[in-house]
Amino acid sequence: MVEAKTILKVSEIIGGDTAVSTDDGQKIFDLLAVSIQGKQAIAADFSGIQIMTTAFLNAAIGQLYSQFTSEELNSYLNLVNINSEDRILFKKVVERAKQYFKDQKSFDNAVNQGLDG
Amino acid sequence: MKIDLISKVCSDFEGYEYLIQIFRSAESSRDKTITLIFTKNYWFEANLAAVLGAIVELLEAKGKKVHLYNIHPDVAKVLRKNRFLCDFGHLPLPDTYGTILSYQRFNPVDDDAFMDYIKSELLTKPDFPKHSPALGKKISQSIFELYENARTHGKCKQIHTCGQYYPNKAVPRLDVTIVDMGISIKKNVVDYLKKTLTGGDAIEWAVQYGNTTKTGTISGGLGLDIMFEFVKLNNGKVQIISSDGYWEFRRGETLRTNFRSTFPGTIVNIEFNLNDTTGYYLIEETPEDIRF
Repeated sequence: MVEAKTILKVSEIIGGDTAVSTDDGQKIFDLLAVSIQGKQAIAADFSGIQIMTTAFLNAAIGQLYSQFTSEELNSYLNLVNINSEDRILFKKVVERAKQYFKDQKSFDNAVNQGLDG
Repeated sequence: MKIDLISKVCSDFEGYEYLIQIFRSAESSRDKTITLIFTKNYWFEANLAAVLGAIVELLEAKGKKVHLYNIHPDVAKVLRKNRFLCDFGHLPLPDTYGTILSYQRFNPVDDDAFMDYIKSELLTKPDFPKHSPALGKKISQSIFELYENARTHGKCKQIHTCGQYYPNKAVPRLDVTIVDMGISIKKNVVDYLKKTLTGGDAIEWAVQYGNTTKTGTISGGLGLDIMFEFVKLNNGKVQIISSDGYWEFRRGETLRTNFRSTFPGTIVNIEFNLNDTTGYYLIEETPEDIRF
């Protein structure tokens, strides 16, 4: 893990303690993606977040798998100050995103092969 | 067209089928004015205001005008407290005991409005939930997951919600209903799987872990599963009505069946058990570190 110089305070970006909507998740994703794309390490700070949903996390974190590998994410993204009771949500979202993008790739390949054939 | 309501309309299979039937009759009528006559009706469950509100929206979109006539004082009291009747010229009654989640319509584009509603009408209630903050957090999470599900999958103009809080019942509970009149779960699932399914089977597919009809860069397939897993542990109840499908989970049993007609959208009605001391965050595996 590269030491993060930028800290992104989630509650400040979404303007509150409730991280529940896909739209707010997209705001976080956009900022994280720019940083990781530029190989700049970034820490997403979840302090102060009281309620979180998988809808938010699918957009904010899960969506990163559409552009980056696990290695890139482990190198350039650090998630900090997550409530212990919310960690299980992160784990579920990460596992689901890995599966989803793996399946999507297989699905796209199958479709492309079908079209080529 | 005049429609006489039956004496009792509850949130059960028969109640939903009855409301679908009212909608279909009114929709197919040539009359532009639809009068719902409540003379014989003495019981209309508060949460069904969200369903009736959605039906009124659809009929109005088809150029019809809906009137409600001769509402029983007990029914009117409930529907004035939750402000449903304010759209029909009635004055609101105060929510003296702080037990109402008022009837509201939300534009799905405005994601903050629903958040403000849940914060102001539920999370700030002094004894919600009576026993455990962890339970309150889980309930809020489930409600937000459902709302996001309605926003992203329904693609509708308005989402109708209301709820009722019963803190003093032998088993205290919170009922919440969310209705969207957009694309049904059945249509989304059938289009995605490209196979014929009944409405009940489509809902059963959609509530399973990992199943999603999303195809873009944002993964899905967790929201309904998380809600369902929680309701199971909470010993609560959930009903999902979409197109011709009816799906219910109650007391450990799942029931799925189909209506004779179709509802043009999705209704989710959840009953949360507030007398629940389960240590939710202890029974789940909590990872120390998040690894990608």
